[in-house]
Amino acid sequence: MELFSVSGLSERVYMSKIGGTIREIHYMETLSSRDQWVNQIHPLVKFVLTVIYILAVVSFYKYDVAGLAGFAVYPLAVFILAELSFLDSLKRLRFVLPLVCLVGILNPFLDKQEVMLAGVPVSAGVLSMTTLIMKGVFSVLASYLLIATTSLEKLCYALGMLHIPRAAVTQFLLTYRYITVLLEEVDRITQAYLLRAPRQKGIHFKAWGSLAGQLLLRSLDRANEVYESMLLRGYQGDYGYMREHAVPGRQDRRYFIFWMAVFALFRACPVILVIGSIF
Amino acid sequence: MSHIHIDMENVSFAYEKGEEILRQITFHASETDSVGLIGANGAGKSTFLKMLVGLNLNFTGSIRIEEIPVQSGTLAQIRSRIGYVFQDSDSQLFMNTVYEDVAFAPRNYGLPEKEVEKRVEQALRMTGTMHLKEKQIYKMSGGEKKLISIATILSMTPDILLMDEPSIALDPKNRRNLIHILNSLEHLKIIASHDLDLILDTCERTVLISQGRIAADGPTKEILTDQVLLEENGLELPLCMRKG
Ligand SMILES: Nc1ncnc2c1ncn2[C@@H]1O[C@H](COP(=O)(O)OP(=O)(O)OP(=O)(O)O)[C@@H](O)[C@H]1O
Ligand SMILES: [Mg+2]
Repeated sequence: MELFSVSGLSERVYMSKIGGTIREIHYMETLSSRDQWVNQIHPLVKFVLTVIYILAVVSFYKYDVAGLAGFAVYPLAVFILAELSFLDSLKRLRFVLPLVCLVGILNPFLDKQEVMLAGVPVSAGVLSMTTLIMKGVFSVLASYLLIATTSLEKLCYALGMLHIPRAAVTQFLLTYRYITVLLEEVDRITQAYLLRAPRQKGIHFKAWGSLAGQLLLRSLDRANEVYESMLLRGYQGDYGYMREHAVPGRQDRRYFIFWMAVFALFRACPVILVIGSIF
Repeated sequence: MSHIHIDMENVSFAYEKGEEILRQITFHASETDSVGLIGANGAGKSTFLKMLVGLNLNFTGSIRIEEIPVQSGTLAQIRSRIGYVFQDSDSQLFMNTVYEDVAFAPRNYGLPEKEVEKRVEQALRMTGTMHLKEKQIYKMSGGEKKLISIATILSMTPDILLMDEPSIALDPKNRRNLIHILNSLEHLKIIASHDLDLILDTCERTVLISQGRIAADGPTKEILTDQVLLEENGLELPLCMRKG
C-alpha cells in the first residue's frame, strides 16, 4: 500500500532532532502529494469545509456531548478516504493533543452541578470538560487532515481565491520555504560544530552568538538564491498555478454539498442518540 | 530560431564601491556557441553569469541579449530567453516533487496544463530523467538533482543556457552522463567550471577570466593546452593533458 513507501522515510537516519523536524515537514509534503481522491478535491472546497466544520464543532452547547460525538464522522471518514494511518497521525500530534486536553481539566472542579444525560445524572463539570476536549481534538484533527491532503501551494491558491491579498499569500509561501531552508542550515551548522566538539552534549553558550550570526547570514543567502531561482523562472508574485482547475468542478461541488448536508443534519439533531434509540 | 546572441561591451562591475570584480569586459557569443568560462576561485565567473540574467544590475557598460538591453525594465523578457542553472541544486529546486518543479516555469508563463505536461515530459526526456517524474526532490541524489535542475530550465525552452559548475559533486558516471546531455543540447551555452576536462569535452571555445579581465578567449583546444597561460592565471592543465 501507498503508506508503506511513505513510512520508508524512516530508513533515513538523521543524527539530530532538527533533522527530525525537517523530516516531519517533508513527511507532510509526502502525504499531501499522494494522489488519493481526497487529495484531488479542490483546495478551496477543503479549506472552506474545514473552516465550517470547526465553526460548527465549536458552536455546540457545553453539555451537548451526544450531539458533538456525531461530528467525529468527518475526521473518521477523511482518514479512511485519504488512507491515512490514524495511529501515525496521533503520534505526529502528540505535542498538540495533550495541550488541547489540558484546557478543560479544571472544569470538573469548577462546575459541580448535575445534569441528566440519557436519563442518567452526570456531573456537569465532567460533561463540559469532555465537550471542550472533543472540540479541541476535532478541530486539530480537521486541520491536520486538511494539511495532510492539500499541498501548501494549493492551499495558498485557495487563499488567493478567497481574496486574501497576494502579497500576504506569497509571504506565507516563502516563509514556509524559508523555515525548511533555515532548519537545514541549523542542521548543517550544529552537525559541523558537534563533529568538532564531540565531547560536548550541546552547543556551548559561548559559541551561540557566532553560530546564530552565521546561521542568519547563511540561511538568508540560501533563501535569497531560492528566491532568485523562482524569479529566473518567471515568478512575478503570482504563481499561475492550477489555471486549469481554477474553479471547483462537479466532483468538488458534490463533495462540498455532501458534507454540508451531513454537518447540517448532525448539527440539528443528535444523530447518535437517534440511532441509539432505534435499537 | 532568430538571431540568438549575447553582446557585452566594456562591462565593469563591483559589489562594493571601489572593488571592481569585473573590468572592461567585452564579450560576444551567438547561435549555438558553447563557451567555457574558466578562472581561479573568486575570479568572477559566477558574477559574470549572474550579470547576464540581471541578478547583478548595477554594472557599467552595456549588455544585450538578442538586442534587448539588460536593465530592470526588461528582466522578464530577458529571463524568459535564458536558463540559468545554479551551482547548488538545493537552491534551484524548491518544489515538492520533480514534476511540480519542472512545471514551475511553464506554469508561471501561463501555459495551459496540457502544454505544461508536454514541456515537462520533453525536458525530462532530454535529461534522461523520465523515471524520476513523480519522485520527491529531497529524496534524490546529488546527480539526480543536477539533471532535474537542468530539466527545470529546459522546460522554459530558453535560447541560452548558463551553467555554474554543473559537474560539481557528481561522481564519474553521472559526470559522463552530464557531458553527454550537455553535448546533445543545441543551445547557446556558457559553462563556468573548474572542471577543465568537462570544458574540453563540451565547449568549442573558452574564455579565461583573471583579475577581473578576460585574459584569453579562443578555441578550447588551444587555451587548455597552454600550460604557461593556465599556470600564470592560477590554473592547471586538464587531467587528460598531463603527462605521466
Ligand atoms: N554577494 C557578494 N557580495 C560581495 N562580494 C561578492 C559577492 N559575491 C561574490 N563576491 C566577490 O566577488 C568575487 C568574484 O566572485 P565569484 O563568485 O563571481 O567568483 P567565481 O569565479 O565564481 O569563484 P568560484 O570559482 O569560487 O565559484 C569574489 O572575490 C567574491 O568574494
Ligand atoms: Mg562561482
